[in-house]
Amino acid sequence: MLVTWRYRPRGSVIEKVDPRARWIYSFMVLLSLTQFWDIRFLLCFLGVVLVQYALARVTWAETRRGWTFILIFAVGIVALNTLFTGRGGPGEVLQGGHVLWRTDWRVLGLAIHPTITVERVWFAVSQIVRMVSISGLFLIIPYTMNPRHYGVTFRSMGVPDRFAFSMDLAFRFVPTLARDFNTTLDAQKARGYEVEKLEGGLIAQIRKMAPLVVPVTMNAILSGEEITNAMDLRCFGTRLRTWVHELHYRRMDYVLMGASVVVLVASLVVRYGLKIGTFWVPGWALAWAGG
Amino acid sequence: MDKKSLWKFGTREVVYAAIGAALYGVFSFLTNWIGLPAAGNIALRPAVAIPMFFGVAFGPIVGFITGFLGNVLGDFLSGYGFWWSWDLGNGLMGLIPGLMAVGIASYKAKATIIKAEILVVIGAAIGMLVPSLLEIPLSGIDLRTAIVGYWLPSFLSNTINGLILVPILMVAYDAVVSRSGR
Repeated sequence: MLVTWRYRPRGSVIEKVDPRARWIYSFMVLLSLTQFWDIRFLLCFLGVVLVQYALARVTWAETRRGWTFILIFAVGIVALNTLFTGRGGPGEVLQGGHVLWRTDWRVLGLAIHPTITVERVWFAVSQIVRMVSISGLFLIIPYTMNPRHYGVTFRSMGVPDRFAFSMDLAFRFVPTLARDFNTTLDAQKARGYEVEKLEGGLIAQIRKMAPLVVPVTMNAILSGEEITNAMDLRCFGTRLRTWVHELHYRRMDYVLMGASVVVLVASLVVRYGLKIGTFWVPGWALAWAGG
Repeated sequence: MDKKSLWKFGTREVVYAAIGAALYGVFSFLTNWIGLPAAGNIALRPAVAIPMFFGVAFGPIVGFITGFLGNVLGDFLSGYGFWWSWDLGNGLMGLIPGLMAVGIASYKAKATIIKAEILVVIGAAIGMLVPSLLEIPLSGIDLRTAIVGYWLPSFLSNTINGLILVPILMVAYDAVVSRSGR
């Protein structure tokens, strides 16, 4: 079992952008996107996400698992929400509406009345577009951002030195711990341990994971003592550390960050100044349902 | 760890936060990859015991980083992108058990284990509640869907995995502590 990062140099435009500018851009677009429920605006943001995906030069084969996860996640939760929408969320705007289908169920003695209306179906479509856009916005990050740059990126974005170093170390420990995991798994299998065929009830099955989890964790903790001692002996933390990789903003980074701020401000003006962008159902859909 | 040092983040904490996060990320990725069996909504996610245990053993900040960063690493290895609200929830799931990491004399004492178990349940409840509720404004779901669709399955799964594996890790760690003298 090989544990590798999804990142590899692809020579894409996105990789040339400073990672700090990319994080700022991603969160600005996320904030902008979450202002809207109107599918026309959401489709614009989905377009931005798809352009970003195309520019990243990742292949469908690489990202298929991620997209499948996102789609199952979005469609599953939206289907549940469409059937059972009640009070408490943005879906509250959907009270009433043009009924397409309604039934009465009794579940554990409770009467429930799932109702599908044109508004709910349209809201579900808007939800899926919004969830896919939000998830897709961050999907390419592991594929296009060098793991060696996370520590210095967050350090230069204001994260305290020790936290940033801890982040940097974590990325470096992954291959070593994955190798330890595989060694332990092989050793336990040689003793007759069958992780794929755990028998017994749920609790027994979880307990049977202990021969895998405990040795790897305790070994890692023991090696941690040695690393701590080595770092203490080298006076770690007595002053701010320097980083092997240095990041420098370029013109295109400033342009991207500036554009992100403009998009956010424009979204806030459109949404709260012009009061545009709330949930919208096209006239043809209402006409089709007889409204 | 005395009371004053509960929120300390020295060299030792830097290293253990990194080890915890890497362990959580690797376990999450590899146990998904192996394809462990599951019963109903309760998935076999043994990895969730890692942030809870690292919280108990090394304090709330280490627990938080282990949960937050470990979840980021697991998602990055799997190619799922970045799910900041669930990363935050996983961080809280490690932070809350970490609140007991003061003056623990023995990790295998019954009282310590019971205290840890209580905090594991509270941690899983709050940790999974925060991202479930954040999905209301983000995804437009209602409260009922957030509770039934997100919170309940994740809370049950994480609680059961944590309740079983955290005490086992604590007993094993007790032997390590005695050996290393830390």
